[in-house]
Amino acid sequence: MRQRLDRATVGKIAGAAALVLLPLVIGDSYLRHLVIVAMIYAVIASNWDLSLGYGGIFNFAHLAFFGVGVYFCAIVSKVLGVSPWLAIPAAGLAAAAAAALVCLPVLRLKGIYVILVTFAFGQLVLHLVISQAEITGGSVGMVFLPALEIGDYKFTRDGKLGYYYIALTVFLLSTFFLRRLVKSSFGLAVVALRDNEEYAVSRGISLARQRVYTLTASALFTGIAGGFYATYLRVASPEIFGFGVLSLVLSMLLVGGIGTIWGPVLAAFALTFLSEAMIDFGAWRHLIVAAMIVLVLLFYPGGLLMALDGIARRVTSAFSPKVD
Amino acid sequence: MDWDSIAPILVSGIVLGSLYAMMATGLSLIWSTLGIFNFAHGVIMTLGAYVAWQVGTEDGFGLGIAAGLALGVAATIGVGCLIEVTLVRPFLGRANVVLLAVITTLAASVFIENAALLTWSGRIKQLPPLIAGDASILGVTVSAHEALIVGISPAILIALWLFLKVSRTGRAIRAVSQNRDSALLAGMNVPLLYALAFGMSAGLAGFAGILLGSIRFISPVMGGEPMVKAMIVAIFGGLGSLAGTVGAAYLIGLLEAVSVFVIGLYWTPAVLFAVMIGVLVMRPTGLFGRK
Repeated sequence: MRQRLDRATVGKIAGAAALVLLPLVIGDSYLRHLVIVAMIYAVIASNWDLSLGYGGIFNFAHLAFFGVGVYFCAIVSKVLGVSPWLAIPAAGLAAAAAAALVCLPVLRLKGIYVILVTFAFGQLVLHLVISQAEITGGSVGMVFLPALEIGDYKFTRDGKLGYYYIALTVFLLSTFFLRRLVKSSFGLAVVALRDNEEYAVSRGISLARQRVYTLTASALFTGIAGGFYATYLRVASPEIFGFGVLSLVLSMLLVGGIGTIWGPVLAAFALTFLSEAMIDFGAWRHLIVAAMIVLVLLFYPGGLLMALDGIARRVTSAFSPKVD
Repeated sequence: MDWDSIAPILVSGIVLGSLYAMMATGLSLIWSTLGIFNFAHGVIMTLGAYVAWQVGTEDGFGLGIAAGLALGVAATIGVGCLIEVTLVRPFLGRANVVLLAVITTLAASVFIENAALLTWSGRIKQLPPLIAGDASILGVTVSAHEALIVGISPAILIALWLFLKVSRTGRAIRAVSQNRDSALLAGMNVPLLYALAFGMSAGLAGFAGILLGSIRFISPVMGGEPMVKAMIVAIFGGLGSLAGTVGAAYLIGLLEAVSVFVIGLYWTPAVLFAVMIGVLVMRPTGLFGRK
C-alpha cells in the first residue's frame, strides 16, 4: 500500500515537472499552443468532475460558467478597458456568481430535471449573448480582445512562453484546489450526499448549502480558465455554448473516469492531441470521436484511468515475485 | 388591437404549436417508457427531412414527395430502433443510466449530424410543400402546407393516444412505463416494447422534420433549435404526461408568437427559457406533471 501511494505521488510530481520543463525542450509554438489548450480543457473538465462526479449533481451548465468567464473577461477588458490581469481573476468570480444563480432552481429539483434546467440555463446565457449584439457581437462574437503584456513585453513573444506559464499556473492551482477540496471534510460531505442523500441529511449535512458550495466552487477556476481563454485566443464566440464543445468536454470527463479529478485531466490531454491529430479528417473526426466515446463507455465503465490502473496492476503483478 | 392584427399571431402560434406537439410527444414518450432523455431527437428530425429530400425531389431519386415522406418516416423509425438497441439498451440497469444515456445520445447526435454533412454537404436544401396552394385559417391566408400541419398534428396525436389507450401493444407500453418488473413477470417482451417506443418517437420526429423541411431550409443543424423548443415544451408540460405535453406545445407556440410580435425575435428564446426555469422553480415536475 505504502509503495503504491509513493508511486502515485512520484507520478504527479513527475507530471508537473514535465509540464514546467516542457517549453525548454519544445520550442515549437504550435505544440506549446496545443499544450495550453489541453491545460484549459483539463481545468474545465476536472472542475466539472467536482459537481458531476463527486457531487452527483447533473450540472449541464458547466460550459455556460466557462462561457460567462469568457464573455465577462471579453466585455470588461475590451468595452470597459479594464486590464486583463484584473479581468481574468474577476471572470472566475463572475462564473461563481452565475453558478450561485443556477442554484436557485436546482436546489428544488432532482435527476433529469436538473439536467434540463441547467442545460436551459446555458441556452439562456447563449441567447442573451446573441440578443445583445451591440456589446457581444451577437452570433459573430468579439475579436481583437486585449492581450496580456507587462510593460512592452507581449506574452505572445518567445513562442507563447508567457501564456504557457500562466496557463500552467492556473492548471496547477486548480488541480491542487480540487484535490484538497475532495479530500477535505467538505469533500466527504459532498460524496456522502451523492451516495446516500437521506442518510447524509439525517446526519446533519445541509443539502442546499452543500450544493451551493459545490457548484460555486466548481465554477471558480472554470471562469478563470474562461477569462484566460478569451485573453489568450483574443476571441469570444458563442460556439462555446454549443453541443460540440459540450460533448467534447463531457467525453473527457467520461473517458477519463468520473469522480477521480485525475481521469478528466489525463483525458483532456489525450483527447486534445488525438482530436488535433485527426484534424485533416474533417467531419470524419467527429464521427470517430463519437464512436470512441460510446465504445469506452461500453467496455470501460470506470473510464480510461481505471483501465490503465488495471493494466498497470496486471503488469506489476506479473513482474513482482509471489509473496506467498 | 383589433382582430386583424391578433389573428395572424394566433395562427402562427398554432402552426408552431402543432410542430412542437409532435416533437415533444416523442421526447415525452421515451422519457415515460425508458426513463431517459433522448438528445438525438433533433438530429433524427433532420435525418427524416434529408431522406425525404433524397428520395422525393428531382435533385435526388425523384420518386415523388409521397414516397419521400413514407421512406423518410420509415428510415427514422429504423434509426430510432437502432439507437435504442446499440446506445441505450447496453446501459439500462447501470446506476447512472440517466447520465450515460445523455452522453450516448449526444454522441449519436454528433455522429448523425456529421454523417449528414458528409453525405449531403452543408449546402441548404428545401422540400416542396406536401400540398400546393393557399388556405385560410381564422380569416388569415396561409399556405395549404401550414394548414395541413395544423390539421394533421392533432390527428396523429389522437391516433397515438388511442393506440396507447386501447391497443394491446399500446397498453403493454404503458404497463412497462408504470412498472417494468411486473410487466416482465406478466410475460411482456420489454426490450421489444422499448425499441418500439423509441422507433415511434423517432418516426414522429422524422415526420415533423419533413413537414418543417418545406417551411424552413434543410441543413445538418436544422434539428437543434426545434429540439430545444421541444425540450422546453416537454418540461413545461411535465415529462411523461401526453395531454400535458400537447397542451404545453400550443401554449409555448402561442407564447412564442406573441413574444416575437411584442418584444422581437432576438429576445424571444431568452423569454422562453426564463419562463421554463420559472415554472420549474414553482412546480418542480412541470406545469401539468404529477409525481
